[in-house]
Amino acid sequence: MTQTVPDSDALYDRVIMERARAPQYAGKLEAPSVQGEGKNPMCGDKTRVDIALDATHIQSVRHTTRGCAICAAAADLMAQQVSGLDVAQAVSLSGRFSAMLVGEASPAAPADTSLGPLEVFQPLRSHKARIRCAELPWIALKEALSHADV
Amino acid sequence: MSHPSITDTSGLDLAAIRKQFPILSEKVHDRPLVFLDSAASAQKPDAVINAMVHTMHHQYANIHRGLYWLSERATEAYEAVRDQVAGFLNAPSREEIVFTRNSTEAINLVAYSFGSLLTPGQAVVISEMEHHANLVPWQMLRDRMGIELRIAPITDAGDLDMEAFGQLLSDGKVALVAITHMSNVLGTITPARQIADMAHAAGALVLFDGSQAVVHHRTDVQALGADFYTFTGHKLYGPTGIGVLWARRALLEDMPPFMGGGDMISTVTFEKSTWANVPHKFEAGTPAIVEAIGLGAAIEWVEKFGFDAIAAHEQALTSYALQRLATVPGLNVVGQPKERGGVISFTMADVHPHDIATLLDRNGIAVRAGHHCAEPLMRRLGLTATARASFGIYTLQEEIDVLADTLVRIREFFV
Repeated sequence: MTQTVPDSDALYDRVIMERARAPQYAGKLEAPSVQGEGKNPMCGDKTRVDIALDATHIQSVRHTTRGCAICAAAADLMAQQVSGLDVAQAVSLSGRFSAMLVGEASPAAPADTSLGPLEVFQPLRSHKARIRCAELPWIALKEALSHADV
Repeated sequence: MSHPSITDTSGLDLAAIRKQFPILSEKVHDRPLVFLDSAASAQKPDAVINAMVHTMHHQYANIHRGLYWLSERATEAYEAVRDQVAGFLNAPSREEIVFTRNSTEAINLVAYSFGSLLTPGQAVVISEMEHHANLVPWQMLRDRMGIELRIAPITDAGDLDMEAFGQLLSDGKVALVAITHMSNVLGTITPARQIADMAHAAGALVLFDGSQAVVHHRTDVQALGADFYTFTGHKLYGPTGIGVLWARRALLEDMPPFMGGGDMISTVTFEKSTWANVPHKFEAGTPAIVEAIGLGAAIEWVEKFGFDAIAAHEQALTSYALQRLATVPGLNVVGQPKERGGVISFTMADVHPHDIATLLDRNGIAVRAGHHCAEPLMRRLGLTATARASFGIYTLQEEIDVLADTLVRIREFFV
C-alpha cells in the first residue's frame, strides 16, 4: 500500500494543527467580566470562554476547551481575533465567520470582510458534520457577550 | 492503494458476497470504500434491494384491506415475513411477532403498553451499557408511572456485574429487566440465559434489546428464556423503517394497544372500539409493507450462509482487529468483555475521535465517532467520545489492515 497523506484536502491546515497542539489563549482569567459556555451534545465537546472587558472593548480572552483539533484551534484563533474589538465588532465577526462556513458562496467578497487567519476554516464548508466543531467557541463567546453591560 | 484483496477466513466466499453489495464497489474521496460502520447500519445486498423493487414494480398495494388480486399478493408477502421472523427467532408462534418501525419503537411499545400495567413500588432494571433506545423509554415510564428505574453496573472490563445485578433483584420489586443482548459500544455479548434465569427467579420478566446481537449469531428466544426480544431490520442487511418486537403471546394479550388507528381494531363505534387479535392489535395504520418484505429478503439471504459461518468469520475478524489495533501507538481499545461481537471502540492519545473519523473518511474508511447514543456509558468509562469500528459479513481482514495502517499515519500527523 502506498503511503498517503491522511488529509487530502487540507482541512487540517498547519495553523489549525499548531494551535490545537499549542494554544496561545488557553486558560482562565482571574477576574473575567463575563463568561460563556458552548457544549456540543453530539460529542460532549465543551468550550468555556472568559472575557475581560473595559468600558467598550474586549481586553483579553481565555478559553478552556475540551474538544477536537478543529474546536481547539477555532477557540484559540477566535480569542486572538476578538481581542481588542468592541462588542458589536466581535458579534459582527462571529456572524461573518458563520457565513463563511454555512452562508451562500459570494465569489467577490469585499476586501473589508476578510476574516484573516480565520479563513483557515473555510474547507469546513464541505465537511458539514464538523462545522459545529468550529462554531462551538463562538457560541460560548456570544453567550458571554450577551451578559456584557456595554 | 489497490482494492483490498479477498481473504476467506470461515468458508464464506467473501468475493462473491461483496459482489452482491453494489455500494461496496463505490469510491469515497477517490479511495475504495472501507465500510466499518455496520453496527450503526449495515449495507444492503442485491437480494434485499431487488425484493423491494420487485414488490413496487409488480405486487404493491395496501394490505389486509383490499379484496383484489394485488392487495392479496401484497398481504401474503407481508404476512409471510411474519412466519420467517418467527423462524429466525425460533418463536413458538407467528402471532407473537409484532412489526414496528425499529428496535427503538419496539422498546417504546413495551415501555408504554406493558409499562402501563406496572404500579408505583415496582421497578425496572436496565444496565449501564444501554443504548439510549433502551434507557430513555424507561425513564419516561418511571416519570409517567412512578416506578423505580434501577441501573445494573458493569465491570471495568465491560461485562455486566452479575453480583450487583443479583442484588438489584433481591427485594422482589423488579417487574422487568431490560438489557442489551450485545453492547453497541463495547461489543459485550451479555449472558442472556443467566440474566433471564436470575430475573425469573426474582419474579421479573426479561426483555433483550437484540439490535446488535441478531446480526452476529443465531437467536433462539426460547433457549434464551426471553419474555420480550427486539431487533431492527437495517442492521441485519435489511431496509430502514422495519423492526420487530417478539413477546410471549400471553403478555401481548394482556397488554393494551400502543397506538390506535386502522388495522388494530376489531369493531369501532363512536362510543367504543375493540381490539384486533395479537399481533395486529399492535400494528396500527398502514405498516412498512415494502420494508417488511425487504426484511424477509434479508433474513432469507443471511440464513443462506448460516450463523455458524457468519459468527466464525466475525470472530476471526474481531480477534485479528484487536491484535492489529494493539500495534497502533497510543491506541486504547475500550473494554475487554469476556465474550464480544464485531464491535470495537477505541480512543487514541492526542487525537480526538472526531478528528480520527474525519481523517479516516478522507482515506475512504467509514467509522463512527461520538458517544454512540450511550452517554451514561461514556460517563461511566470516563470518556466523552470514542471512535468505533464494526464489522459485517462483507468485512475483509485486509480492510482492518487499511484501518490500522491509516490510524498509525493519523497519529504521526497529530503528534
